[in-house]
Amino acid sequence: MKNQRSGLVYSAPITLWLTLLFVVPTLIVIVYSFLKKGTYGGVEWIFSANGYNFFSSSYFLKVVWNTVEISVAATVITVLIAIPVALYIATSKYKNFLLFLIIVPFWTNFLIRIYSWIALLGNNGLLNKLFIKLGLEPHQFLYNKSAVILVSVYAYLPYAILPLYSAIEKFDFAMIDAARDLGASKMTAYSKTFLPNIKPGIITATLFTFIPALGSYAIPKLVGGNNSQMLGNIIARELTITRNWPKAAAISTILTIVTVAFIFTLSKYDKDHKGGDV
Amino acid sequence: MKKSIIFILILLTLVGCGKEDQKNELYLFNWSDYIPDEVITDFENETGIKVITDYYSSNEEMYAKIKAGGDGYDITVPSTDYAEIMMKQGMLEKIDKSKISNLKELDESIAQKISFDINHDYIIPYSVGATGIAVNAKYVKNFERSFDIYNREDLKGKMTLLDDMREVMSSALIIAGHSPESSNPQDLEDAQEIILGWKKNILKFDSESFGKGFTNGEYLVVHGYYENIVAHMTYEQAENMVFFIPKKGAQMYIDSMVILKGAKNIENAHKFIDYIYRPEVYVKIIDYLETPSINIGASKLRKTVPVYEIEDLKGAYLMKDLGEALTPQSEVWNEILTQ
Amino acid sequence: MNKKTFSLNMFILTLVFLYLPLIVLIVQSFNSGMGGDWDGFSLKWYDELFNHSARLWTSFKYSIIIALTSAGISTAIGTLGAISLKWYTFKHKKYLQIISYLPLVLPDIIMGVSLLILFTSIKFKLGLITIFLAHTTFNIPFVLFIVLSRLHDFDYSIVEAAYDLGATEKQALTKVVLPNLMPGIISGLLMSITLSLDDFVITFFVAGPGSSTLPLHIYSMIKFGVSPIINALSVILIAGTIALAMSTKKIQKYMV
Repeated sequence: MKNQRSGLVYSAPITLWLTLLFVVPTLIVIVYSFLKKGTYGGVEWIFSANGYNFFSSSYFLKVVWNTVEISVAATVITVLIAIPVALYIATSKYKNFLLFLIIVPFWTNFLIRIYSWIALLGNNGLLNKLFIKLGLEPHQFLYNKSAVILVSVYAYLPYAILPLYSAIEKFDFAMIDAARDLGASKMTAYSKTFLPNIKPGIITATLFTFIPALGSYAIPKLVGGNNSQMLGNIIARELTITRNWPKAAAISTILTIVTVAFIFTLSKYDKDHKGGDV
Repeated sequence: MKKSIIFILILLTLVGCGKEDQKNELYLFNWSDYIPDEVITDFENETGIKVITDYYSSNEEMYAKIKAGGDGYDITVPSTDYAEIMMKQGMLEKIDKSKISNLKELDESIAQKISFDINHDYIIPYSVGATGIAVNAKYVKNFERSFDIYNREDLKGKMTLLDDMREVMSSALIIAGHSPESSNPQDLEDAQEIILGWKKNILKFDSESFGKGFTNGEYLVVHGYYENIVAHMTYEQAENMVFFIPKKGAQMYIDSMVILKGAKNIENAHKFIDYIYRPEVYVKIIDYLETPSINIGASKLRKTVPVYEIEDLKGAYLMKDLGEALTPQSEVWNEILTQ
Repeated sequence: MNKKTFSLNMFILTLVFLYLPLIVLIVQSFNSGMGGDWDGFSLKWYDELFNHSARLWTSFKYSIIIALTSAGISTAIGTLGAISLKWYTFKHKKYLQIISYLPLVLPDIIMGVSLLILFTSIKFKLGLITIFLAHTTFNIPFVLFIVLSRLHDFDYSIVEAAYDLGATEKQALTKVVLPNLMPGIISGLLMSITLSLDDFVITFFVAGPGSSTLPLHIYSMIKFGVSPIINALSVILIAGTIALAMSTKKIQKYMV
């Protein structure tokens, strides 16, 4: 590198910004999780670990399991779909236009899109009306776990496609040809040259889908049913309805720690993901 | 480049901490669609005060924002339980009643229910109403006008209850013969049993889309507020709907105007409240909301007939602050939701 | 090529999946009724949109301004940050590596409330600026990760070659590194715009009085049933963005 001191210049904006506007609020959350609950929300500046009592609630583990189940399913499906889609876009002549085509639906408001899904798949939705016309029994597609997974996949697809596109776009496809020349089958060529090379992209796509899914709140509320409560709903309820700020902060702190551990393990698996020195 | 970044940061800070000019304004934090635009515009034209409104759709989000420090609002409109909480927390300005001469129009019979501020020192009622149940009578026949409808297995998967712990728990506790403010574990267990019985037959708990869902035919029986349910109904659909306030376990609400502590436009806030209380202005509000009138003068002028009268609310419970009972009730509610 | 057809098929299926609700949305904007049933073709929602919705347009305007500015700044900050992490060493590198993950992880509602607490405790006035600050903050890690994965296999020798040819640091950056990072930067930018346009929870808490964005406006209508005016607005937005994209292509053609 030409000038090591440039490192300071490049990294200063991001470090300052994140420290002020992110680390400090996170510290606030952690501190609040160890304070006493105010009677009407807020906190009293007295130490208390009561916020962490949520582990003992019987419903808590159930919700955690639900959340993990739904998030894993949504992530796996999303990433599996995103890889071929990103591949197609990256290798196409019209890549910018196609990328655009994929993103544009997501610039319409989230709520409206969910309501459109309800209009399609709802109990009195278009699909069911069609069923009735065809003499079939109407089916309840929504208000259950599968609906939450489906709509989550829908919502997170661009979060997976974009990073994968960025990673695939620089892949030198000549490697595939070289592998084929050496006698590998199409399958082997792809799995041994393509996939390992876009691993950082896959990891990023997984993170971008799994982590927001864990904190998901609106999707389970709107299309979930009686058995699809997720962690995000619990946190929101503790904060606003029970007004137990320390508890909401505690659950969030634990969620943050667990997710950071997850990211850490994932990046250890891809040792040079964070970049070492050149 | 470093220099320009520093420059931008300084600029932002200056703008952020800038002083506010003394404009003639009023900041409202209100429920959506709660005041007809005409009322606001007339006020603006008459007084020259510019009214800026932000919206919320639940007491909880309004309170969480203000509690966490979201200031800048002069007037907000909490329901009675949150009005009580805000008053206890010292979040409200004392009202100078000499500036609200029209307060005399207030129907005291209903206002007395706000027992913690009988003299209206902090809380001025805005509107009154009740939570009810709407039934699509085209498809549902022979039903009793009570919460018992939620025990009907033939309606399984076609009904919703509000996703609101206070509403559902209060009603269940009353039906079980207990106080809605109880924290007694046995009482709560009884209520839990009742609610779980209802839960078997509902499609989901829904506080946002019950109105739209009812109009779209997604749900045949919904628990909720009249104005949301009829918001976009056709005339034909309205004909087929039966909206009732259940015999037992009914909940009523009184939403009130309060002035927030530290409000910058206290004079204007008083003017606004006084203006709302003019009978000829308030009648526009009740004709718009179709709720019972709390303003004696306006009752005489109204053109619409409310779907239920203040009489019908006599047996209803007015939600107050639960105090310490909130936590045990919430725990039970969380159990119910995840079972 | 077999793989090519598979990916093409997946692409088309995905496009259908993504656009299906959009088609419902577009059709509903022309539906004279508000319920699920078709009540006859009507342009009344468009009429109301253009003639009676001043407040909606203001929120829309604010949303666009915030989306573009926060996406721009976060992309710049995130890209520089990614470059620093990949190729440079500096004292706080470990620290930066740890904190750059975090904004992804914190749930919206917690981030919203904690930012609000931060702003009020330093007496920073709530308004469009606080929304801008919040949006930029949650956008940065997304840009960072995307650009980093792009830098993963970046052939540094071309940068070294540039230096050998006498390029300054600035020239190496602007003429060699950034152009090669462009797909990553654009992905980051698009992602940031998308995240910002749709954010509701964080914006609700940090918005100042009178500074409403489109999601706030729409969400406030939710109990009453969101009016098809929003559908009409969405159609205009989609049509406008596609038109814009087409026109930039045309401009690009002339520039090449």
